[in-house]
Amino acid sequence: MILIRRALRFWPAVAVLAAASVCFAAAAARNQNSDSTSSSILQAMQQELQRSVDAYGKGNPPAYFVSYTVSDLDSVSVSGSNGALMSSAETRDRWLEVQTRVGSYELDNTHKIQGREPAWYSPGTEATLDDDIPLLRREIWSETDKQYRAAVQAYIAVQTSKEVQAQSAEQHAPDFSHEAAHVSVSKPLSFHVDRTPWEERVRKYTAAFSASPAVLNSIATFTARLANQYFVNSDGSKIAFGQIRYRLELFVQGKAPDGMDLQRYANFDWVDPAKAPSDAEVLKQVHILTDQIAALQKAPLVEPFAGPTLLTGRAAAVFFHEVLGHRLEGFRQKDVSEGQTFTSKVGQQILPDFITVRDDPTTKEINGQVLLGYYPFDDEGIPSQNVFLVDHGILRNFLMSRSPLVGFPHSNGHGRRQLGAQAIARMGNTIVESSKTMSNTALRKLFIDEIRKQNKPFGLLIDDIAGGFTFTGRAEPQAFQVQPLIVYKVFPDGRPDEMVRGVNIVGTPLISITKIIATGDTPEVFNGYCGAESGSVPVSAVAPEILISEMEVSKKETSTDTPPILPPPAHDPQAKEKAQVNQ
Amino acid sequence: MNSRRIAFYPFALIVAALGLAFVRPVAAQSDNDHTLEAMQDEMNRSVARLQLDSQKKPYYIEYRILDVDVRSITASFGTLFSSTHQRNRFMAVNVRVGTPQLDSSNFISQNGFQGFLGNTGEVGIDRDYNSLRQDLWLATDQAYKQALVQYSNKQAFLNSLSRPPEIPDFSTEAPVTDVEPLVASDWTSRNWEDEARESSKALRGFPDLYSTRVHYYLVYTSYYLLTSEGTKLRISRGVAGVEASMNTQAVDGMPLHNYFSAYAAAPASLPQPADVSKGLIKSAQQLEALRTAPNVEDYEGPILFDQPAAASLLAQALEPSLSGARPPLSSVPAYDQMVQQAGGHSEWNGRVNSRVLPLDVSLIDDPGAKDFQGQPLLGGYSIDAQGVRAQRISIVENGILKNLLMSRRPGPDFVLSNGHARSALLSRPEPMPSNLFFQASNTLSPADLRKKFLDLCRSDGQKFCLEVKRMDNPALASESQSDFSDIVSLISDGLGSGDRLPLLVYKVDPNDGHEELVRGARIKGLSVHNLRTIAGIGNDFAAVNYMQEASGGAANTALDAFGSVNGGIPTSIIAPSLLLEDVEVRGYHGEPRRLPLLPIPALH
Repeated sequence: MILIRRALRFWPAVAVLAAASVCFAAAAARNQNSDSTSSSILQAMQQELQRSVDAYGKGNPPAYFVSYTVSDLDSVSVSGSNGALMSSAETRDRWLEVQTRVGSYELDNTHKIQGREPAWYSPGTEATLDDDIPLLRREIWSETDKQYRAAVQAYIAVQTSKEVQAQSAEQHAPDFSHEAAHVSVSKPLSFHVDRTPWEERVRKYTAAFSASPAVLNSIATFTARLANQYFVNSDGSKIAFGQIRYRLELFVQGKAPDGMDLQRYANFDWVDPAKAPSDAEVLKQVHILTDQIAALQKAPLVEPFAGPTLLTGRAAAVFFHEVLGHRLEGFRQKDVSEGQTFTSKVGQQILPDFITVRDDPTTKEINGQVLLGYYPFDDEGIPSQNVFLVDHGILRNFLMSRSPLVGFPHSNGHGRRQLGAQAIARMGNTIVESSKTMSNTALRKLFIDEIRKQNKPFGLLIDDIAGGFTFTGRAEPQAFQVQPLIVYKVFPDGRPDEMVRGVNIVGTPLISITKIIATGDTPEVFNGYCGAESGSVPVSAVAPEILISEMEVSKKETSTDTPPILPPPAHDPQAKEKAQVNQ
Repeated sequence: MNSRRIAFYPFALIVAALGLAFVRPVAAQSDNDHTLEAMQDEMNRSVARLQLDSQKKPYYIEYRILDVDVRSITASFGTLFSSTHQRNRFMAVNVRVGTPQLDSSNFISQNGFQGFLGNTGEVGIDRDYNSLRQDLWLATDQAYKQALVQYSNKQAFLNSLSRPPEIPDFSTEAPVTDVEPLVASDWTSRNWEDEARESSKALRGFPDLYSTRVHYYLVYTSYYLLTSEGTKLRISRGVAGVEASMNTQAVDGMPLHNYFSAYAAAPASLPQPADVSKGLIKSAQQLEALRTAPNVEDYEGPILFDQPAAASLLAQALEPSLSGARPPLSSVPAYDQMVQQAGGHSEWNGRVNSRVLPLDVSLIDDPGAKDFQGQPLLGGYSIDAQGVRAQRISIVENGILKNLLMSRRPGPDFVLSNGHARSALLSRPEPMPSNLFFQASNTLSPADLRKKFLDLCRSDGQKFCLEVKRMDNPALASESQSDFSDIVSLISDGLGSGDRLPLLVYKVDPNDGHEELVRGARIKGLSVHNLRTIAGIGNDFAAVNYMQEASGGAANTALDAFGSVNGGIPTSIIAPSLLLEDVEVRGYHGEPRRLPLLPIPALH
């Protein structure tokens, strides 16, 4: 699922306490990241690794694999709401994660057994920000013993579980893949971000939203994240690299007269500080979102419909990410509780033969647009790879971490996670390509023709989709819910397009993606943060416009919460003078 | 400025019409703080015009805003682990419909109102006018709709009862106005990162200490309260604490921990690093001693609680009984059970004028007390979280229960608040102690008390007796959730109500008074009932400052009594040493954890 917003203001009392961790100013004085930091951290990790391999490798049961990850995170976050600064923070963390695997590559402590929830979170601990190597070694020592103890307990539970004795063919895949050692040590990165101009900017953007009475609540958040990662494992890998990502997010909420919640969101992503969006670009987006909220307020509800549907590139990208991408995550194929939609379809045609889908985290940008899902090594220390998942309609491969499948014994560099979670197979840059392309103008003409051919009063144009929750679990229906946010009725007789709201896509994934008729020729990029079992990871989805012969939509349930009783204070005709105060 | 004042006039007319006290407009602030103006203007508008169709109007609207300016620093063995400085502003809006006798509050049901935004949340920190009005507007709307749904659910539930409760829902109190000057945060006078490094460095000298964290937490807060009854507050406060955890294993593998804490009403009053180091070293030495101490055997008999341990025991055992508020009604039996377990039903409710403590013992809660024998008390305040003036309350007089701590939530024995509503951040205010004085007329010197203890041991036919010098504080001793779980799991059959965790326990020979440190003790089932009889009370009264856990009283154990300075409520207890005649102690029956496979890396 692509999470389009990361800084929502949801307000139960507990969340208020949690929110207290938003920081205003930083003081943590870590030594400026330098080569000497890098080499001393790696040295401490390797020294302790050698000791651990020697001792725990002879334990009973023995640890057959040990890895250490140290993550230095510098993050800056500036958030504004309704014209005021909400928080402005800079934090520095150093996080240590230790993995010990007990048993063998074939069967180890991580093996999924019934009655035990898989441990999605990865235990870890804060470590010293100062480069105190003896203390870092002590933290590693303490954490290694803790993780080994936990692994032994888990392994005993695996050995005594009944399922291990009686398992289906898919489950005969080993628990962990053999991989070559990778050594790559890059210079650590550092950055300096001045928060003051951003404090002014988030105030300005959210104040601009407040100019419209249609906007009830607005949040603008700037974030800058620097991650320097250090990784060693008992295979002999030694990796150090850094990544910096900048992001500005705009989020607005409104309400339709019948109470339906309306929300719009936009994000800007960049990795080169010189390419930050200008004030004018952001304000233009502010006005687009404001106009959309106002238009949605007036838009009629959609009626149930099945017929031709055109998805713009960004909407199509999210659609593929949700509907196809998540189901090609390798670990889902071996998990009995998952739907295993594609498990037995390798080598078979699952999409029209003009469609190719690959996941390529090795690419940094397309057509000058940043791809958020770029990374040189995954979170298991495996180099990222360009993986052809569906080649001309034929299912060829899965996204693989070090959790193998029958027939797919190795990782292809897609083991990813948010800090604090266990790495599992995830998407990076999911790219949809087509060999049956036409200009967007021609595609629209084909769309109109298709509406006429099917004798429908209109077709649907979906311009923006929010990632819904993809139900991949077996207990859930094999349906997906992606939430189209901006949808127009397109009429065959040349009338202007008409915006509708409350659109829910319904249907089964395997059917809907086989009904693509043709595509546009211009790839569009959607950058977002995708939330799944291993947490939130930066991803991109890239696709051209796609025309689907039939898509089924239903009407979204409306909220029982009616619009606010009183008008916004700044737009209250009975208290006009108040709006002038300290603006 | 004129435009701001105009809004007060319509409000004055409204409150006059409602028969409520007239509130004097506060002079315009020169501190550029527009918070109260925004609150007042949105309040006026809501009081005048907030009404859904033909539904009831609110009879009470309350705005609470809390500004926090926090520095939080964690150090370990002389190095920095984290350092943050955060400023946040939180908002909570409460709306009541109905009447004080029967309103939308005090009711838990399954079918609550689901709004698109809640009635609480984080808001802008600029102390500006426009953004706060926007936030208050939406939150008030949500709170009102919530109250309407809650009120109708509650009435439906009450109709199903044969005899609805007669206790009112809300007490009527006089409005209070107290707009104090804003206190500017002082972050310049001391270098807290250096202090954290310096004080924690002292622990580098303990080679068997697996891990330790020394936290400095310094906060300035400004609390704003505005109600439709005319209460208007702006109160600035501070609190600061140093809290430390330390962990190791005993020679046989039992996980061991200790803690340290020091609190002050302002960052500037915290102890200097040298003094913090001294305290840390003392705790580390205690932990070292525990590593090689033998396990305690199961025991039943007299226990002497020395003065700081006795204060901790009293804080845990008394606190759940002091509230006079009634628990909320619940339409779901499972919730009702939860409320009961969460200490919603105070042990002393309905026992007014009965004997609850020994006849020579009195219990007083005094929010106005500033110090005890020169030692500062941190639990005090002058106006409580609901805007009621704090009162000194005689809870127990000569063993007889006379009073309970009251918020504006009435209970079976008392209706009116006595100014004891307290809350952490903006959680729901609950009746809690402030500065709790345990007083006694028949006291013994420490030497006489100890003699009495040994006499009691001998007459009881014991080969040894137990003396507790320090109680555990799991909230401070745990570095992480898993440490906390470790503490709970140490207790093989779970932690029951009234179970207490002593940390430093000594076996005392009744004949020669010889002491030997033991470990692994847990006290079984010691609750407020056991305090009706106390075999001996010392005259060594001293004050202990601690952080009360805001959720308070659940399961009646140390795990729920104590919190940390980050989110806890500053509280003081004044208590002497106590001799209890018949206490049950269980030794450690768990499987000791094996020792690490590798020797600990040295810190040099």
